[in-house]
Amino acid sequence: MNRSFSWKKGFFLLFLILFVLGFPRLVDAYFLHLAVTFFLAMILASSWDILARTGQVSVGQAGLFGIGAYTAAILFNRIHLSPVLGMVAGAMVSVLVAALLGYLTLRLRGIYFSITTIAFAEALSVIWLMTPGFTGGAMGLSTPPLFGGDRQQAYYLILGILALTVAAVWLIQSTRLNFAFTAIRENEEVANVMGINPTRYKVLAFMVSAFFTGFAGGFYSHYNTYIIPYEVFGLGISIACLVMPIFGGLYTITGPILGTIIVKVIEEYLRVTVSYGHQIAYGLILVLVVLFMPEGVVGLWRNKISPLFRPASR
Amino acid sequence: MNLEFAGAIHESPLRGSAVIPMSLLEVKNLTKHFGGLAAVQGVNFAIGRGEIVSLIGPNGAGKTTIFNLLSGVYTPDQGEVRLDGEDLVGRRPFEICRRGMGRTFQIMQPFPHMTVLENVATSGLFGRAPKASMKKVEEEARELCRWVGLGEKAGMFPRNLPVADQKRIEIARALAIKPKLLLLDEVMSGLTPTETAEAIKLVRQLRERGMTIFLIEHVMKVVMGISDRVIVLHHGEKISEGPPRQVAHDSKVIEAYLGEEMENSEEPSC
Repeated sequence: MNRSFSWKKGFFLLFLILFVLGFPRLVDAYFLHLAVTFFLAMILASSWDILARTGQVSVGQAGLFGIGAYTAAILFNRIHLSPVLGMVAGAMVSVLVAALLGYLTLRLRGIYFSITTIAFAEALSVIWLMTPGFTGGAMGLSTPPLFGGDRQQAYYLILGILALTVAAVWLIQSTRLNFAFTAIRENEEVANVMGINPTRYKVLAFMVSAFFTGFAGGFYSHYNTYIIPYEVFGLGISIACLVMPIFGGLYTITGPILGTIIVKVIEEYLRVTVSYGHQIAYGLILVLVVLFMPEGVVGLWRNKISPLFRPASR
Repeated sequence: MNLEFAGAIHESPLRGSAVIPMSLLEVKNLTKHFGGLAAVQGVNFAIGRGEIVSLIGPNGAGKTTIFNLLSGVYTPDQGEVRLDGEDLVGRRPFEICRRGMGRTFQIMQPFPHMTVLENVATSGLFGRAPKASMKKVEEEARELCRWVGLGEKAGMFPRNLPVADQKRIEIARALAIKPKLLLLDEVMSGLTPTETAEAIKLVRQLRERGMTIFLIEHVMKVVMGISDRVIVLHHGEKISEGPPRQVAHDSKVIEAYLGEEMENSEEPSC
């Protein structure tokens, strides 16, 4: 809570903003596409971390992601709703589902909640396969390319959503919500006796998380032009959502962002060298992080690396 | 029972001349079973404003269970709990907290990754109705930390603090909600004699501020020294109630404590 503003930090932030804004002019289509997938993953990672702040580990973010994706695609195919509005609608439907699911399941704790979320995503996948008339079934749904295939516009759109996500995390971190979330995570009974309604704040966190995850899902379906249940409701997405923030550092703004960059770079490298290599990497990263750096990259930097550079006088 | 209570009112030094007869806390026929075990059985008592009442009894008598029933951690099977005239049965802990019930835990449970100040501020932010601004809560939390003797340690993490300081956090946290009634669950056990003396001083200062306190305590010297009234619990039932001296000589109480005269022992046999 004691965060002092420094000029060094300010300049770095300014440079970063100028860099990401000017990025599309500097690179070719491949790197632009890569940046879009990075930003998408950052949104998923950050919004998973929002829920994690209340101590709940969701392993079913793909459910919310898929709902966002399908809402956007279905609305486009049925009523030709503009893609961006479709994404907003996808986010809204995700929030609604999260509110319902959260109200039912967030009384559960720890592993029990996690299991429910896996079941939730898997169940959606099965429902989708059983109702091909409405959802496209195993064949999936397709939409025309977003902005007529203009990747620059897509880049700025997803950057905007990412900025919103980071702003939301920052807001949570600097208001009384931070106290409620942290207290619930650290000891739910005591938090309750201290006047905090645990279910309410957990459902709220889940809804905020669902909003951005659903938004990202909507973006994905239009950007990718094609979605199938196995993929958007798949465990792969749910796991990706949690590996990146855990690697980067939980309950921080920079953790999920930094974690995504590092994990994605490893993933991208392995994708071209070893088939399914990135999935092995996910498992390996999880094990190593849990064993050796429980506070992630951010914690490692704060506790081990940055003290090395501090002037000796302090 | 009513007579006993009326007697206690006259003994309490804080009682003014024109007293509203309604007590702050009224508990009637409080009952809680865990499976076949009657943890608390038909307990009746009342606590008046500004009183300090101790709840004592051998281990397993149901003292902490009563605290858990009062603060909403458990729901009573039967009975009535009224704070300031308002029925609390069936309400959840956070609702009861906002109605003015502050409590500490026997086993200290500070939030480990929050500083002392943040621990205290958290309950101030949420446990109070109506809600106060973050700035105001932070100022008051800082003041509370100073008041309980943690002024210089406000920025530290609880795990780096000794037991006595962790108990201070518990008290400050309970006070941050501005409680009408403060429940203290063995805040003095595990303290050195010096620390106990400081804790007693703290409780006395609270009384001077007009705080109503209900405490569970094992250290008999403390119970005798600060209580207006003592309630004795045994096997989940109230076996005695009254001023400390009277209770200490109650044959039922002595029997419950295996024949030990309580006045002469620091710690009862448990």
